[in-house]
Amino acid sequence: MERISKNIVLSLAKGLMLRLSDEEAENIVAEFDTLLKQLDLLDQIDTTDVQEMIYPFEEPTDFFREDIVDHVLPIEDVLYNAPLEEEGYFVIPKVVKD
Amino acid sequence: MFANRKTENIEKEVMDALQSARRQQPYLNAVVSFLDVEDAIEAAKSSSGKLAGLPIVLKDNVLTKGIRTTGSVAILDNYIGAYDATITTKLKEAGVVIIAKSALDGLGMGGTGTNSHTGLVHNPYDLNRMAGGSSSGSAALVASGAVSFAIGSDTGDSVRKPASFVGIVGVKPTYGRISRYGIIPYASSLDHVGYFTRSVEDAALALEVLAGRDDKDMTSSFREVESYLSNLNGDLSGKTIGILGNVIDSIKNKETLEIFDHLIEKCVTAGAKVKVITMDHKLLQTCLPVYYIIANSEATANHSNLDGVRFGMQEWGDSLEELMTNSRTKGFNFLLQKRFVIGSYSLADENQDLLLRKAQKVRRLLVEEFKNTLAEVDVLVAPASSDVAPLLTDKSADQLSARYLIAENYMVLGNFSGYPSMTIPMGKINGLPIGINITAKPFEEQVMFDVALGMEHLTGCKNMVAEVIV
Amino acid sequence: MSFEVIIGIEIHCELKTKTKMFSGAPVSFGLPANTCVNEIDLGHPGTLPSLNKRAVELAITACELLNCKVDRLIRFDRKNYYYSDLPKGFQITQQFHPIGKDGYVDIEVDGGSKRIRINRLHMEEDTAKQFHHGDVTWIDFNRASTPLVEIVSEPDIRSGKEAASFVEKMKSLLEFGDISDVRMEEGSLRCDVNISLRPYGYEGFGTKVEIKNLNSVNNVQRAIEAEIIRQSEVYLQGESVVQSTRRYDEASRKTVLMRKKEGTVDYKYFPEPNIPPIRISDEFYQRIKDNLPKTAEQRKSSYINDLNLSEADASILTSGKDLADYFEAIVHCGAPVKNTANWLISEVLSVANLRNDRKFSDWISPSDMADLLIMIKEGKISGKQAKEVFADMVNGGKPKDIVAKKGMVQVSDEGQLFTWVTEILNQNTQSVEDYKNGKDRALGFLVGQVMKLSKGKANPAMTSEMLVKELSKR
Ligand SMILES: [Mg+2]
Ligand SMILES: [Zn+2]
Repeated sequence: MERISKNIVLSLAKGLMLRLSDEEAENIVAEFDTLLKQLDLLDQIDTTDVQEMIYPFEEPTDFFREDIVDHVLPIEDVLYNAPLEEEGYFVIPKVVKD
Repeated sequence: MFANRKTENIEKEVMDALQSARRQQPYLNAVVSFLDVEDAIEAAKSSSGKLAGLPIVLKDNVLTKGIRTTGSVAILDNYIGAYDATITTKLKEAGVVIIAKSALDGLGMGGTGTNSHTGLVHNPYDLNRMAGGSSSGSAALVASGAVSFAIGSDTGDSVRKPASFVGIVGVKPTYGRISRYGIIPYASSLDHVGYFTRSVEDAALALEVLAGRDDKDMTSSFREVESYLSNLNGDLSGKTIGILGNVIDSIKNKETLEIFDHLIEKCVTAGAKVKVITMDHKLLQTCLPVYYIIANSEATANHSNLDGVRFGMQEWGDSLEELMTNSRTKGFNFLLQKRFVIGSYSLADENQDLLLRKAQKVRRLLVEEFKNTLAEVDVLVAPASSDVAPLLTDKSADQLSARYLIAENYMVLGNFSGYPSMTIPMGKINGLPIGINITAKPFEEQVMFDVALGMEHLTGCKNMVAEVIV
Repeated sequence: MSFEVIIGIEIHCELKTKTKMFSGAPVSFGLPANTCVNEIDLGHPGTLPSLNKRAVELAITACELLNCKVDRLIRFDRKNYYYSDLPKGFQITQQFHPIGKDGYVDIEVDGGSKRIRINRLHMEEDTAKQFHHGDVTWIDFNRASTPLVEIVSEPDIRSGKEAASFVEKMKSLLEFGDISDVRMEEGSLRCDVNISLRPYGYEGFGTKVEIKNLNSVNNVQRAIEAEIIRQSEVYLQGESVVQSTRRYDEASRKTVLMRKKEGTVDYKYFPEPNIPPIRISDEFYQRIKDNLPKTAEQRKSSYINDLNLSEADASILTSGKDLADYFEAIVHCGAPVKNTANWLISEVLSVANLRNDRKFSDWISPSDMADLLIMIKEGKISGKQAKEVFADMVNGGKPKDIVAKKGMVQVSDEGQLFTWVTEILNQNTQSVEDYKNGKDRALGFLVGQVMKLSKGKANPAMTSEMLVKELSKR
């Protein structure tokens, strides 16, 4: 794979709601260089016709949760951790609604 | 030792533990929060649970209702658990008294104990050394003698590596054996609840309490929980022990190999059959990148909920995006931010084939190879680390060396495969402990414990404590 | 130049379950903010999803009704984006393996039938609701994690009218299937439309514009018609249509730009590691297939063929599941079919419209309604009386009580009727004369007189019959 640019790092960070300094972005670019060398090790492995392994154990289950109300959080517990709350609602800066 | 124990004075036992943890806190820095224990002591007095009155510690990524649960990251510094993790409930039912929540490498991401928002965690054997991670605080508190049982979690080797560095038992059972409900995740397909004790018997009893099906975790297993303690049998005769040759080959430290070889010789004398097995070297070298890609990809998504809107630390902004960006930038240290960026890169549509999906395919090949390796033996063993705990100042690891790629990272095979795996101490080098890792087939925890007990008899490394006395 | 219009529709439909898609908190509408949530819906650290069985049953039912192939291995994926209405920072959805694929529905347009293909049907979770309040936004997480199915049509729709007919048909199928409330105004069914124009004969597709959140069938049609005009004008002026998301403004009856689309958003979809693949067993699947609810069409044809109702009446009765269910419940209580239909279509529906309330059973139970209709049939009360009784029933009375209280019971006793008839005939000799001279109207007058004498209690049919008999003797 190609070397990753600082701009890509910065735009990835923006998408993750993270603000990086120039220095930090450069540090990540450098980290990518090591990663890319390790990825060469991956590239050497032939994975033709190999399925992705998503779960440690892959036998499908047949378990569903029954549609029965089992647990509501009391409103005090819902709002206890709320950084900002008004009249039972969570509050954020006004979002321009789609 | 708490297996088969008789409690005479719960109050004293708990207060001694609390006092020990508090006294050592300035040196170990292993605790995030000390808990009020009065109510729990009262409850324990009338408990008939298997662990009635036992003081324990939870890694601070285990949810506790009404009690601060930080995951050792700033963004959750003020988060009060809204519910109990399934294992918190099970432990309370067993009668334990939780005395503290312990520090971890933030969100479980790290293997050094140097990445907590509350500062470095120190190794009780040598305060200048790492306790390992990410379950650093729990490991240090068990090794220091404060408690004899602590909960950790293991995504790469986060229980089994620190256990090696601080000379205790660290267990990661089969994936699905212990519910993950209420554990702040790192990477869901690799995360396991694990724990520390100072003896194999204790480890066997602890799993009886922690294991079992939980409908709140859809990956939780329906298999019945066995009576690991009463079935425990340390007789090694007739057992076939596989040695992972690749790990031995990549370790340069003579003392480590000597201690290991010496133990293996004793196992043979005790009647075990020993077989050196070598996995495909090229394939095994990919453990670290495969782990890095899968873990960071899942982690990036798993921690998108930490956005400053509903709980945790909020840094207001003029727009939603600013609020989230301010909160997340301040709330995660750079190491975590870096991992999120790498995870996000691996997940990007145009990169997934080359990165995440490629890693997931290689994971399958690694697990198939690992399964074949285990097919002919009861357990597979290797040193849990190539050397003793590194110094806190040591950042020198050559990330492309065989030692690093294999000896320091092969234990992640237990997470890829979900197979049960544990570390027990095998000896000391210059007074510093080092462990051996034992892995068994899925849900064969009993076999794993049996071999571990046999080895514990041979090493004599049981109930090792390194209390910090100043 | 004239254009061919290419339309595809996406429907988000809330499922009628008691609990959330991935948690055991209740699904609600209109309850106080944040009172129907638990830690899972709020995306608290450490929580894990557990899949609602009923939601899966309803999704499979929907697949069957839309003729979709059902994927018997249920798998979920994460759709990643940051927004305040999405607690986990990702939505659990079925990007890679939708539960349903390759279906179709037949719609009615201009007296003919047209097949619209369904591309996919997948399960996912709803987001929270937000309210704008001064310079901040308030969030209510009650709706978060409500079970949804998203249904995506192929671009087979060619006009606003066809689109309206498609949505109407989907509403009917989902409502009669007991899958959803399909209340567009409350958001339990939401419609997004993709529309592009191309000159006839042109092979490719024009630039696609998405119109979001259409909240009624009428608005679906109007928005499309407005957008067709707008895009035609753009093309005819030699300009090009910009790929964008628009909304429909009811006041101006025009679509309004919300945002331009620059490239596609990368949602970084990947398989959800916390939900292992779940196998739908043969037994589970067969049970759903064996218990498929009847569609509006099936009910309509059974009303026509089995109950001998007219096509027109059957159509009205199956215009909504609430009405059809009510009709069947009344008939089930023994009421005569035809009269039940007449009463529902005339009396009951007009009250329902006045009240704007179609929970019929809430104001008159089916058995009370049946009692009323049976009393009419048995001649115990007259049709006129019945209307009076009905008016009181709407306000909560039981029909038998009202009739008794008002002393309304109709007299059919021949002895009593004979006394009244004889008295009237004796008092009205002129009318008797008129009748004999062939003036039929006189009979009506005499019946009226008997009714008056009996204070309305005389059975009118029997009275008329007896009068004819007695008149012939005079
Ligand atoms: Mg969509
Ligand atoms: Zn959707």
